Formats: sequence, C-alpha cells, structure tokens
Amino acid sequence: MTLTSIRERLRPTPGETWLGLAYVLPIILVMASLVFVPLLATVFDSLYRIDPMRPGTPFVGLLNYQNLATDSNVQHATWNTLVYVVLAVVLETLGGLAAALLLNKVRHGRQWLLAILVLPWCLPPVVNALVWLWIYNPSYGVLNNLLKGIGLISENQVWFNDHHTALLLISLVHVWRMLPLTAIILLAALQAIPGDLYEAAKLDGAGRIKCFRMITLPLIAGGLAISLSQSTVFAFNLFDEAWILNGASLDTRSLIIQVYMSAFQNLKFSYGMALSVLAMIASLLVSMVYVLKVYRETRFD
Amino acid sequence: MLRRHLLASLALLPLSFAVPTLAPVAAAAANVTEVLLPPWGTLPKGMTDRLASETGVTLDTQTLGWDQILTKVATSMIAGSPPADTTEVDWSWVGQFGAANWYLPLNDAVDAATLADIPSAKFFMVDGKLLAVPYANDFRVLIYNRDHLDRAGIKTAPTTPEQLLADAKAIKAKNITQYPIALPLSATEGSATAWYLLTKVFGGELFNEQFEPQFIKPDSAGYRAMAFEIEALKQGLISPAATGLKDVEVQELFKKGDASFDLAGWAGNVAVYSDPSKSQVAEHVAAALMLSTTGTARTIGLPEAMGIPATAKNKDGARTFINWFIKPENQIESYKTLGNLPTRTSVLKQLNSEGKLKSGDVILQQATLVDPLFKQGTPVWYPQFTSAVSSALNQAAKGQLTVAQAVAQIAEEAKSAMQP
Repeated sequence: MTLTSIRERLRPTPGETWLGLAYVLPIILVMASLVFVPLLATVFDSLYRIDPMRPGTPFVGLLNYQNLATDSNVQHATWNTLVYVVLAVVLETLGGLAAALLLNKVRHGRQWLLAILVLPWCLPPVVNALVWLWIYNPSYGVLNNLLKGIGLISENQVWFNDHHTALLLISLVHVWRMLPLTAIILLAALQAIPGDLYEAAKLDGAGRIKCFRMITLPLIAGGLAISLSQSTVFAFNLFDEAWILNGASLDTRSLIIQVYMSAFQNLKFSYGMALSVLAMIASLLVSMVYVLKVYRETRFD
Repeated sequence: MLRRHLLASLALLPLSFAVPTLAPVAAAAANVTEVLLPPWGTLPKGMTDRLASETGVTLDTQTLGWDQILTKVATSMIAGSPPADTTEVDWSWVGQFGAANWYLPLNDAVDAATLADIPSAKFFMVDGKLLAVPYANDFRVLIYNRDHLDRAGIKTAPTTPEQLLADAKAIKAKNITQYPIALPLSATEGSATAWYLLTKVFGGELFNEQFEPQFIKPDSAGYRAMAFEIEALKQGLISPAATGLKDVEVQELFKKGDASFDLAGWAGNVAVYSDPSKSQVAEHVAAALMLSTTGTARTIGLPEAMGIPATAKNKDGARTFINWFIKPENQIESYKTLGNLPTRTSVLKQLNSEGKLKSGDVILQQATLVDPLFKQGTPVWYPQFTSAVSSALNQAAKGQLTVAQAVAQIAEEAKSAMQP
C-alpha cells in the first residue's frame, strides 16, 4: 500500500468533517465563553474606571496600570509572589523529580505509594492550609513540639512573625500540595523511556549520572516543561495558603490576594482587573522563558 | 448512529436550560424569600417555622462567612442580579453601598416608633435614607475573669489603661495566667477595630471634620493607643501569638481561662462567655464599662443590619421578614439562640429587668455611651483604610515598624484611599 493510498483512505468525507466540527464545538464554546471572552473583557475593562461607588465608567487608558506601578502594596505583593514562584518551582521540580525517579524504580506496590503521594494534591487547598495552620500554631502546633523534642528550639516560636520564615513556610505548604502533580507528570514521562536505551548506554560504559544526563533528562524534557509551567502558573496564583495562614498581612500577601482586596474589598474593580492582567502576563512570560529553554537545551535533533 | 446520538443530545440541550426557570414559579407561589446572612444571622428551624406560620413567608437561607457576603453582594450587584432578597449589611459597608445606590431605602418599611427604639439605626443612614435595619447590636465593653482578679487581690475592674496594665502585671506575677490581656494584633479587621476603640479610650478621634488624620502626633489618642498595645505586647501581657490571631481566636483564649481581660469584648459575648456549654470560665465572667482617660467610658458601635438590594426579586417578602425579625419576641429568641444582642433599647431593658441579660446594668449603661467611629458616616474608602490599619499595626507588633512609622504609613494610605 502506497503512502498516497493511505492518505486517500484517511481523508475525511464531507459529512464526517461536519460531524467532527460538531463534536469540538462544545469545547470551543466553553473555552470562548469561560476563558477568551472574559479575558478580553478584563483587558478591555482595565482601561476604564469601573468603580460602583462613583458615577459613570469613563475611559482612563493606562491610568490603572500607572497607579499600580507606584502602589507600595502591589510592590510588596509582587516581591512576595516572586519569592513564592522561585521557591515553589525549584522545590516542586527537584522534589517531584526525585519522587518520580524513586517511584519508577519501585516494582511492587507502586500503586499504593502513588495513592499516598497524590493525597495532598487531592485535598482541597483550604483544607490543606487549615491542616498546616494547626501544625504551625505557636501554642499547640506540632512543629514547635517536634523542634523542642529534638532540642533545636527551647521555647515556642511564632513562625509568622519573621517575614522570610513566613514566606518559606507558606511556600512549603504550597509545595506539599503541588509536588504530587509534578511527580506524576514526570513519572509518566519516565515510564515512556525504553529500557533498551539504558542497556545500550551501559554497554558503552556510561555511568548513572551520564545516563541521567544524556538519556533521562532529554527524554523527559516535554514532561519537565509541562511541570515547570504548571508550577509557575499555580505559584503565581497562590491565594488559599497565604490567606488562611496569615490573612492579608503584607509580609505574605500575594498578587492574587492583592487583586482580591482591590476588587472585592475596596470595590475598585478595574484596578483589580489591571493587576490580574499583569499577573497573568508575568506568569505566561516566565513560563515561556524556561519552557523554551528546556526544549532548546534538552531536545534531540 | 453517532450522528443520531449527537442530534438527540442537541435537541435535549435546550430543555436542560429550561428546567431552572420553573423554580421561581414554584417559589413565587409559596412566597419564598431568599436571605443571605452570616452564621450568627442564620435562624434556627424553630424560628423559621414560626415565621412561616405567622407571616406566610418561607425563608430560603444562604449562610456565608462575613467577608464572603461582601464579595457576593458586590459581584451580584455589578452583574445586575440579586444576591438575595435580604442580605447582611455591616456598618463598615454603608459608605460603599450608599454611594453605589445598591440598596432600597427602608425609611417607610419600618414604623417610626420601632426605628426610634433602635438607636444604632443612625449608623445605616446615608443622606437621610435608611439603608438597612440593625439586628445585632455590637458594641465594645471590657469583659474580665473575676476569679483571676480575686486571686491577684484586685477588688475592682480597671477603669483606665494604666490600671489595666498594673492589674495585668499583678495577675502575671502571681502566675495566674501567662498573658492576661486578650487582644488581636493580626492583619485582620478585628485588630483594626480594637485600635479604633482604644483611640476613643484615650479620648480622641481618628479624623477631624475634614477627614484629616488625627493620630500622627505622639500626644494624639491614636498614637498613644497603638503605643499602649505595643507596650503591653513587649511587657509580655499580650501573647506574642496574637500577631497571628483573629478576634474570634483571641476570644477562645478568654473562654479557656488563658486570658483575664477581653479588652475589646463584644457586648453580646458576655452571654456566650457565661454559657457553660461554650466557655470554661462561665461562672467567673463579668463585664465593666470601657476604660477611659477622660472619665467618660466611650466605646464604638459596630452593629450589623439587614437590607434589601435594589435588584431583589421578592421585595415584599423581604420587608415582611425584616419587620418580623426585629419584633421584640424574635430579638429575644435571637439573643438566646444565636447570641445577637438586641438592637431595641426596650428589649434590652426588658431582658435586664427579667434578669436574663448578663451584666445587664453595665451593658445598658455602656449602650448609652456608644459613639460612631465616623461622625460623618462611614466613608466609601473605609475598607482600604482599615486594611492599611491592620497591616501597619501587625507590622508594628512584629517589630518591623515603630509606632511612629506605622501611624505615618496609615496616614499615607488614608490619603491615597481618599483620592478620587
């Protein structure tokens, strides 16, 4: 059978084309109505003054964006969010990769280990944060008791009184919840690597590190890029953990908390929209930068 | 085959959209009215059954957290849809809701005699329009653990900030409790309101008539109030964990006997603290007039009310419900079952005369000394201002800002919030 005849057989008939379009129409409608139209409306509205406490909705151009640049609360929230992103992406990627490599080696009971691993990811973020709120509690929290038990501290600590410690602890809660997703993505990528490649490399005298660098890493590049993107996007959108563990405190306020406060507490909707647009663009840009880098540095030509 | 299934599914799709439209028809027939209230406004079944039998109105209740209600009201009103027929209206939202014209004036919905019996109704007036009718009478009193004071050899409750510090030190010195003063210092509204209260205690106001900050100078009441809080924290009279505790969490410390003074105590909480099923110190709870440096025990009122959004579907049902809820017998039942201190002065007096109002004489006396936080009415920029207050206070408590820096930061934020 020639390639041309195969192509002829696979060519859809006119009726099937319409049927195919009809099947994808719902998702096109859902994406357009729930994602693209609201996104465009948000960008558009951020150029107006939408404030229910003041009459009219005049066009203000980039004024909301200009005001954001000088807002000290936004600067605090931006810095905090960048710290969250760096910590979350690094810890989730390294921890997720380590967990995936370990699980990939396990031959018996992997499904049980996997079930245990995904448990934090299955928990609603609010429940997750509440559990950690108890762990970090300065009066009866497990963390204080544990550290006192092993002699690292002599008296209870109020963990959120220190800016840097607070950022780290909130990041850890987020990492604890999101690491399983990274591990699963990378485990799937690892399992797709043919075992023959490692055997051939061993015959050629390659050690474990060289195998990891020359075979594993390039072949999981796609999975790595996906996990890095999702880690970045979720870290940029961090809300529940910071809100539940430390409320609106400037020490740990994230960009999305600032969006919530601007739009829904101060009722300055277009100001909040402008900030959410900037947060989205930043999140996309950061994701794109290292996704492209990972692809460029690890792909096989 | 596939095409047939697809066509059948598409044909059924419009029907699924039609189903919910049948619900309002059934609701209207039964005179159902939707209410959106926080947990302490959510009536028990006994009360809702009685409402139905007395008025023919059936409640469809949505219970949300206090701050989530603001989010729901704001998003619904912006979208032009009703959040419910009756919703919670907190005193702090009055400026925003009034400016946005989101609520129906209720001046004619409630009779004048009833309104005259509810002094806190003035908190909900905007340009002569009554935006909402108060149902929970929140003002602040000093609540203390009489047993702790007795064991420390203290005969009477403190009346000045200095006395409070001295009493707290005496209690701490005798190891009765490690942190005698319960006061929130987290970046939450409860911490900000405690500072507003203490500003009154120190005999001042937050702003003058022109909304110029009055708390920046070191001898101002606001400055001294914040310095007092930070000093009490430094002296170990307030738990260091208070930097992460909300007001309700601080109240738990008092209930467990871990604190001797609930400095910014909710008047309605005297009943909750005195209930053995809810408090471990029930038999030792007492209330006193708020501290003062001027001889007059001023306090602030933070009442909660119910209003009818302009977009409400069943406005008549909502009016019926509100009028029913503020009847004396229902305010009494709401106090007994939900801890909402009645907003009607006559009901407070009746409860006190029947011996059913805990620390009734103090509550009644303090009720006459309630000041609004803003004499001009709650400004539209209040949420932004109060968020700045709680953040700066929290930073000062953590030692990241001095009191001078914190009040300067608040003043700067207030100026920014006021800008058009």
